Amino acid sequence: MSPPQAHPDALAVQASGLRCAAGGLWVLDLPALQVPAGEHLVVVGPNGAGKSTLLRCLSGFVQPAQGQLSVLGRPLAPRPLPRAALRALRCEVGQVLQGLHLVQRLSVLENTLVGALGRLRGADAWRSWWRHYPAHEQAAAWQALQAVGMAAHAQARVDRLSGGERQKVAMARLLLQRPRLVLADEPTASLDPAAAHAACALLRQAAAGATLVTIVHDPALVPLLGSRVLGLQKGRLVLDQPASTLHPSTLADLYRGEADGGPAPALPGTQPGTQSHLHPNLYPHRHPHPHPHP
Amino acid sequence: MTSRRQRHPGPLLAAAYAALVLLCLATLWHAGDLTLGRAPWANLARTLAELSQPSFLDAWWGPQRLEYRSDDGTLLRVEDRRVVEQAFLWALARAAWTTLQIATLGSLLAALLALPLALLAARNLGAPRPLALAARAVLGGARAVHTLVFGLLLVGIVGLGPVAGILAIALHSMGSYGKLHAEAIEALDMAAVDAVRATGAGPLQVFFHAVWPAVLPQWVGSHLYVWEFNIRDSTVLGLIGAGGLGLLISEATSLFQWGRLATLLLAVVALVAAFDALSRRVRQTLA
Repeated sequence: MSPPQAHPDALAVQASGLRCAAGGLWVLDLPALQVPAGEHLVVVGPNGAGKSTLLRCLSGFVQPAQGQLSVLGRPLAPRPLPRAALRALRCEVGQVLQGLHLVQRLSVLENTLVGALGRLRGADAWRSWWRHYPAHEQAAAWQALQAVGMAAHAQARVDRLSGGERQKVAMARLLLQRPRLVLADEPTASLDPAAAHAACALLRQAAAGATLVTIVHDPALVPLLGSRVLGLQKGRLVLDQPASTLHPSTLADLYRGEADGGPAPALPGTQPGTQSHLHPNLYPHRHPHPHPHP
Repeated sequence: MTSRRQRHPGPLLAAAYAALVLLCLATLWHAGDLTLGRAPWANLARTLAELSQPSFLDAWWGPQRLEYRSDDGTLLRVEDRRVVEQAFLWALARAAWTTLQIATLGSLLAALLALPLALLAARNLGAPRPLALAARAVLGGARAVHTLVFGLLLVGIVGLGPVAGILAIALHSMGSYGKLHAEAIEALDMAAVDAVRATGAGPLQVFFHAVWPAVLPQWVGSHLYVWEFNIRDSTVLGLIGAGGLGLLISEATSLFQWGRLATLLLAVVALVAAFDALSRRVRQTLA
């Protein structure tokens, strides 16, 4: 392989011509995206920019309408993965979603052990139906809870916890899963600044040695979470640069583009060769098929 | 006149409903069936008077001797009314126990039968479409046929006795359970289900970790509700020979023993009220 193209095995995510449609619009349209294994990537953009759709594509919850996509060496598109292969992929992909999504009536420990479900085989798998787990997984779960500082609450029911504590349980679940790719969709939503910083540190710890893709809105958290920043707007990639060179005004412009509602204004400081690489095309992107649209 | 404006359907529906009610009344009146009989008030007063003397109270506070005489006044036989009443009360207790047995086992069987059907019928779990439609059809059919109708069929198949009652309750309640279970599943937090699915868990692991714990309180609640309903229903099943209190009720009514009927109705009310109180307590502890 020639040097500019990274070896496919070294890429956690490889996408080309990736498009997802909803309601007559392309909600996601990525001509090309490559994420090297081990890279920590931050995705920014206003609401409705397609960030969550991108993450749901990567975890196989949304099937792209067009294009090629492979995640951790498994091809997810153009043809969907068979069920067994999809499950195997999901074992290796850890997710922290908006709202965390713990199982309310289970205990902290049981929620953590959910992270181990995917790799249980044979008798261990059906014993897990009654929430009996192998001793080594239980020990690992306790370790994970200690790492996030929730071991003291292991037997508490999750619906009795505060938002910050739930966040830690979600992180413990992620730690126990030991994924090769971590997808985090606004993991700091509804946390105060101190808790948000702590959550970012935990997320980095859980994703140590793995690839991490995080969606955040707070510019202060971007450098904590990754070395590369992707900016999405109306489904298109408008920004892809190292986090160290990201200027706060660039982010502000990215978010302001949506606030206007209509066609996004030309963004200042976007000449080629400057530190930001905003693509010029910021217009709403219609679905090319002639769907009737009011 | 054709108006393309969208009208509020409320007045139209109300008018249609009123027309239907008037039609029902008019046809009944026309057929001469809209009558309360010859002496409704006198009958009501007499029935109430008889019902207000439950047999067990009458036996204890009324005359103790029960004399059987022939037409010319010869004394044929004397019985102690308290002894007779005691035998009746024992029969009542046994019948109440049979009723409870029928309701309990029938409800449990119904809940177990409904569980897989509810999983298929719930719109958010993504069961294959033909299976989902079949499950919904089975549940709808089971709900549509009354327990008594199932009971009549089953008495013909498995014979008289509590088993016919249990199966009748199970078949009808399966429909109610299926609907309640499926609605509980449809109301659950799908994001948490997806979060468990996202760890690579298999379908049964997802069910036991995300669906089961979330729907269990509602299922226990609806189980108690349907169970209570079935205790009431199974008091009637005896009427068709499926065992329980209904048998005694039909005996008492066909012999015009209104005092005994009053005793039986008191027993039914006590049974249902006790179960109602109990189930409320259980639901409170589970919430």
